[in-house]
Amino acid sequence: MIHFLLRRAAASVLLVWVVLTTVFLALHAAPGDPFSRLTDPRIPRTQQQRLRAVYGLDQPLPVQYGAWLRAWLAGDWGQSFLYQRPVAQVIASKAPTTFLLGLSAFLVQFVLGTALGVAAATGRGRARDRWLRGTTIALYSLPTFWFALMLALVMSRGLGWFPAAGFSSPFAEERGVLRYALDVAHHLALPALALGLPPCAFVARLVRNRLLEELSKVYVTAARARGLSEARILLHAAHNASPPWVQVAGLSLPLLLSGAVVVETVFGWPGLGSTTFAAIGARDYPLVMALAAISAMLVILGNLLADVLLALLDPRVALAMETP
Amino acid sequence: MSSPHGSPAPFARGALLSSALPGALLLAACSGPPVEPAPSVTEIVIGTPAELEGVNELIAQGSDFNAAIVGNLFLSLLEERPDFEVGPPTFEPRLASSFEFSEDRLTLTFDLRDDVTWTDGAPVTAEDARFTWQAQISPDVAWSYSWSKESITDVEVLGPYRVRFHFNRAYASQLTDANEGVVLPAHVWGELPFESWRLQPEWFSEHLVTNGPFVLESWERQDRLLLARNPGYFEPGLPGLDRVVFRSVRDPASLLNMLLSGEIDFAPSVRPADATRIEREEDLALIEYPARQYTFISWNTRRPYFNTARMRRALAHAVDRQALVETLWFGHARVASSPIISSVWAHDRNLRPLPHDPQRAEQLLGQEGWVDGDGDGIREREGVPLSFVLTTNPGNAVRWEALQMIREQLLRVGVEARPELVEYHKLNAMNLAHDYDATLTAFLIDTSLDLTYALHTRAIDNGYNYGGYSNPEVDRLIDEANAALDPLEARPLYHRLQQIVQRDQPLLFLWEPSRLVAVRDGYRVHPNSLGEYYALREWTVATAAAPESATAAGERTESEAGDSPSGP
Repeated sequence: MIHFLLRRAAASVLLVWVVLTTVFLALHAAPGDPFSRLTDPRIPRTQQQRLRAVYGLDQPLPVQYGAWLRAWLAGDWGQSFLYQRPVAQVIASKAPTTFLLGLSAFLVQFVLGTALGVAAATGRGRARDRWLRGTTIALYSLPTFWFALMLALVMSRGLGWFPAAGFSSPFAEERGVLRYALDVAHHLALPALALGLPPCAFVARLVRNRLLEELSKVYVTAARARGLSEARILLHAAHNASPPWVQVAGLSLPLLLSGAVVVETVFGWPGLGSTTFAAIGARDYPLVMALAAISAMLVILGNLLADVLLALLDPRVALAMETP
Repeated sequence: MSSPHGSPAPFARGALLSSALPGALLLAACSGPPVEPAPSVTEIVIGTPAELEGVNELIAQGSDFNAAIVGNLFLSLLEERPDFEVGPPTFEPRLASSFEFSEDRLTLTFDLRDDVTWTDGAPVTAEDARFTWQAQISPDVAWSYSWSKESITDVEVLGPYRVRFHFNRAYASQLTDANEGVVLPAHVWGELPFESWRLQPEWFSEHLVTNGPFVLESWERQDRLLLARNPGYFEPGLPGLDRVVFRSVRDPASLLNMLLSGEIDFAPSVRPADATRIEREEDLALIEYPARQYTFISWNTRRPYFNTARMRRALAHAVDRQALVETLWFGHARVASSPIISSVWAHDRNLRPLPHDPQRAEQLLGQEGWVDGDGDGIREREGVPLSFVLTTNPGNAVRWEALQMIREQLLRVGVEARPELVEYHKLNAMNLAHDYDATLTAFLIDTSLDLTYALHTRAIDNGYNYGGYSNPEVDRLIDEANAALDPLEARPLYHRLQQIVQRDQPLLFLWEPSRLVAVRDGYRVHPNSLGEYYALREWTVATAAAPESATAAGERTESEAGDSPSGP
């Protein structure tokens, strides 16, 4: 396992470098730069050139790339043009809110999705199975942005149950930790549901199908013949059905950031998602690069996590990992 | 004033909430309405997609929102009055109590107030004014508006509260140029060398010393910004509000939801399609005033379709601009006719947009040699069909719908415009390189009247004359108007200029939009064409003891908007 992890770590560094170099080139190939939004007609066009020179953006691309790579290797992520502070500070200030949203959505996606999947599988052919199948198909086929807007429209504007946007009410933190946490949770509910419910439907269908597949196998029939309780049989079947579930969980990790771009924008959630949206629009090169790195690392980490969990669940996978 | 609230550090906040999350989520549904502010505090909650970029305006990109916030943290020497509708802008004293030009107008002397202090207690002096000018012209600082100081050769300190600006020439907007930018704290910000300003932008928020009506109490980017009353502010009784909360809301639909659900009290920009919905709300008022903006189609005069004034006039006759205004803006805009918008004093009130007259358009197109010889509905000349690409940027539904309507209208006279959305940065590059057929865009303008940027030959390669329009008479009129010492004397020049532009039609002026601002009843606010947050220090909220002032406030603001001259 250790060898496997070391091999993967080395490959991951290479992969992150390839991703970041590609993003660097794509970003600089795209029209515009951090100063091309300076279109106040009173500002001379030469000002853009002046600012490019100040920040070294007038240098040939290989020179810019070299400077960027040297700074990165030294641990310097640069200054954000948009936020006028070090990129590391921007990320550090936004990551916790996105983590909070991602964790909540993850819980919705997997806890609720798994429960629904098990309920559908154990009630195969019955009304609850049919209802769940119909609902999950509908839910999974909804575009995230539309679903988010509809949630806001119905649950906030229509019923008035939840705030329309934001992280907390103004000055909520003055009312004590518990009331502040409640207020944030009140604001968190809709974005977490918008981000977690559509993939939750996918998880529910996956769990249902995998569980039914396992439940139809010979070893289950044999277990029943030996008089094992249905609960224990279900536990065995669930264990054997879990590898795809684990893989989906691992691969969902980066989606929590990419999905958050839309949901955070709709719900005014001040996290990395809305920051990504703003940074790309403003051509904030240093910030986009850092966000791309985080996204790439999440993908790698998610895959790695899925592999390790699979190995723990299935000894055959662990054995394969040890084979050089 | 309420005790200052210390926001937890963002990271600590996230960690705290992650641990408290599961229980809190369950309790969320029964947590009740949003937290109410303490009753003794007067405040307004504003929802806006705009963000404060930085507290040092010299190194910020210069958005209107940034200028508005910085303008409430720092004082400028003077403040422009919202009187540009009746004449050249005038100024009222702020940090400067008076000013005086020398006879030859080559020096301008300001007397500063002696009772204004920075928030650290140090007095605001003439040294601050000189330091500000030095920063503004520093090549290391590279301020985007440093051009406004090009004619100022020195800023001389004559005494602790007396400062003199020296100019190398006399011209009309000397006062505006001297006043451009807020005054910065020399005794604090002078500690950081100019060459480090752009490398350490966060230094300024960490060393923030201000002198305006408000102080920056907290600033969590993309979440909220909190301005609180500056207890040391020099004007007695001001500001009228204890605190102003700006909540960051990017999505317009979310902004509307928050306004309707009472989460925000003030929306600085309402979509015209939402205006009726807001007007139906009993506790919301809609304030409308002319925005300093005009939207137009720029014809690339280097293309054979658009290289004659008659051709461009034909296209102008073919487009029903009134229909655009009524359909897309629900009447909350005026048909535009000039680069000097109709709410500005120098606008030629006798100017009328070319009328929608498809027959006249067809006649002119015929005279230009464009006829539909093959009967396919599209005119041709020498075998070339009259078909071109009409671009705009994505993310603006009104512009995209306008393209669709214009396409239909042009098709009726045998002209094919093919609408195309082009990503903002790419479109900008194409326009500046004159690499387009026709493009729909807008200029956000100030109250100065220098039209060089859009119409002068000089601006083809070093400005925003996208279409490459060049007319020596227009160039001369712009130069003469800019050189006039008294702007009022230049009025005939501005009128002549607008008439020529009307004749030549280098741009098809489409509309001048209104700014729609929504405010909850009880607030006395003063948004106008100079800014949504104009005179923020004078905004107040009615208390139970003074309900009449709130009513009067609504009347005043609406009357201000109503007083604006309507467009043609």
